[in-house]
Amino acid sequence: MTLYKKAFPAVAKYVSKMGGSFDEAKDIFQDVLIIYYEKSVSAEVVVHANEQAYLLGIAKHLWAKKFREGIHQTPLDTNRDDYDFIEQDDTEPSATKLLHYLETAGQKCMEILKAFYYDNLQVNKIAELFGYSGIRSATVQKYKCMEKVREIIKEKSLAYEDFIE
Amino acid sequence: MNNIKLIDDHLFNKGGIEDRLLFDAMLIIDPTLSDQISWQQKTHALVQQYSRKKLKAEIESVHQQLFTRCEHQSFRQRILRIFIK
Repeated sequence: MTLYKKAFPAVAKYVSKMGGSFDEAKDIFQDVLIIYYEKSVSAEVVVHANEQAYLLGIAKHLWAKKFREGIHQTPLDTNRDDYDFIEQDDTEPSATKLLHYLETAGQKCMEILKAFYYDNLQVNKIAELFGYSGIRSATVQKYKCMEKVREIIKEKSLAYEDFIE
Repeated sequence: MNNIKLIDDHLFNKGGIEDRLLFDAMLIIDPTLSDQISWQQKTHALVQQYSRKKLKAEIESVHQQLFTRCEHQSFRQRILRIFIK
């Protein structure tokens, strides 16, 4: 919340100056936060100088990209970089269906996999969070979950014919 | 279960040259391995999608609090003024 309050005004001002609306500023800012989070947990970027300036930088990049794509509308854009990934979400209807299934049937495992692979948490922290006796049992659980979810995805994907490209 | 760790190491480029050579050899010996790699990649993609959705929901809840609760009124007005043309 502190980061939201600190960094959103500058992004809102920028988007407004560029002719964008409040909703556009909100959407861009939320994508910026996701990118920022992913970069910070993967230790790809260490922001030592100015967090707000860094977030505004990503926002400008996303805005420029949105503007560019608005004009060209090229689906075969080869200039993809790592700021582009967010739009790829939910593009396949069967992936959405599968995700929905996993959210309900495999939620515990998805949470564990998220903690390991997305949040990049330390194993001892994960053991503590999920109530495992130690590092070893948390690690075993991670691989069991990966195996289980992988199996579900395989089964369901083969059932949803259109999943296979 | 061991395969899962091996495939992860392969996908995330962990391990040394020896491990990679060993993995290449396993690919030849075990014809199901490449299939397993591709399902594991799909799993990682879905874990990422799941996680982003969760994170986005958390961010949205912060946004809702900032733009509805009384204690954040001055912040809200400051932002909305930016968009009054």
